[in-house]
Amino acid sequence: MGPLYKFGWFDFAYSLQLAGLIGFFFGFVLERAGFGNPRKLTAIFYLRDFAVLKVMFTAIVVCSLGLLYFSLAGWIDLGRVYLLPTYLWPQIAGGFLLGVGFVMGGYCPTTSVVAAVTGKLDGLVFIVGMILGSLVFAEIFPALKGFYEAGSMGAVRLNDVLGIHSGLVALLVCLMAVGVYWFVEKVENRFGDPETLPGGSRRAKVTAAAVLVAFGVILALVNPDQAVRTRASGVTELSKVRKAETPKPAASASEGFKIVDDEGC
Amino acid sequence: MNQDRYSNPYVIGFCLGLVLLFSFYTMGRGVGSSASFARIGAWAVQLAAPEHAANNAYLSKYTTGSGHVLKAWLVFLTLGACLGGLFSGFIAGRIRGEIARGPSIGTASRLWLALFGGVLSGFAARLARGCTSGQALTGASELALGSWIFMFCIFGGAYATAYFFRKEWL
Repeated sequence: MGPLYKFGWFDFAYSLQLAGLIGFFFGFVLERAGFGNPRKLTAIFYLRDFAVLKVMFTAIVVCSLGLLYFSLAGWIDLGRVYLLPTYLWPQIAGGFLLGVGFVMGGYCPTTSVVAAVTGKLDGLVFIVGMILGSLVFAEIFPALKGFYEAGSMGAVRLNDVLGIHSGLVALLVCLMAVGVYWFVEKVENRFGDPETLPGGSRRAKVTAAAVLVAFGVILALVNPDQAVRTRASGVTELSKVRKAETPKPAASASEGFKIVDDEGC
Repeated sequence: MNQDRYSNPYVIGFCLGLVLLFSFYTMGRGVGSSASFARIGAWAVQLAAPEHAANNAYLSKYTTGSGHVLKAWLVFLTLGACLGGLFSGFIAGRIRGEIARGPSIGTASRLWLALFGGVLSGFAARLARGCTSGQALTGASELALGSWIFMFCIFGGAYATAYFFRKEWL
């Protein structure tokens, strides 16, 4: 039953090694996508190449479907996954500022790392800027404290707000993703440079889109929230057994299931 | 530029989704990176002015915990990302010292814009409690409301101002 760390499968020291491994693959795929190149990244804002949006949306769809299917299969307890809380106003303002910083600097935080290690001096300068920006924020934090907490809604998910179960939300996300892919490919075929745009057979794309929607439809029909709730008593029994079996390392005893404020990016 | 052959974005997105899912399954949390830079900043302040670092309302969150400021999960993740990016760049032969920019901007202006863009991004990531990965990718996968709004606001902010930076890229 996941998340493994929250069930005491390994301690903090091991989790740091795991972080290195996850980070390795994270950095690898980003560079592979060409995200160490700011001209490739910012091309999306001039309607020439929507790789950023395709990568982000595909990752989100795959991961959210994966989480729901894992929870349906009883492999992960979503209640123990750290859910990012919503603070409406700072997130709106932060989003806009980050967008401006993105098109001005050419990177977002993680891609600047990938750019810097592949030899881009501007990536390194961007990182220095980010460190300074964080310090500026820290220095004026007392004045911003009210705004920083504004619009606090707690850890709400889209299904809470829309009043539908998360399977339906997943289906909507799948449909939106497919619609967005179709639309942006139209746009980039019009404005982009056909030489640098990725090819890929139309047949493969249609098949992948159909599979994606099919996964969403299954979730919408199964209603994962309901299924997990009805099994909930059994799951707690199981987790008790699991905890009794696994010798708990000392380090994770103090960590426990506590949600640390710093867990956001 | 034309010899830069990158992987198909859908394939990459699929792989990134699996990496993220692996992170959720093992750690119960997603990825992120901007906090690492806040921690590096906090560490620098701690070295220069330890009292200030301990008293600052925001930095104290990083500096007063047990252990070293940099001994944090996200810092190790960022180190891993450095290695992963380096490895990928190496096998693709893409490692070369340069200042990436469009054809109609000088190096000095490009570096100044990179610096100011970085400052804005660093500030914004602290304000929004995360960046494109820690807030948008991670939160949107969990279907968190604020993360979806944040993600659309990133695109909104960038599209709204892209016109003013067209000389930097096109």
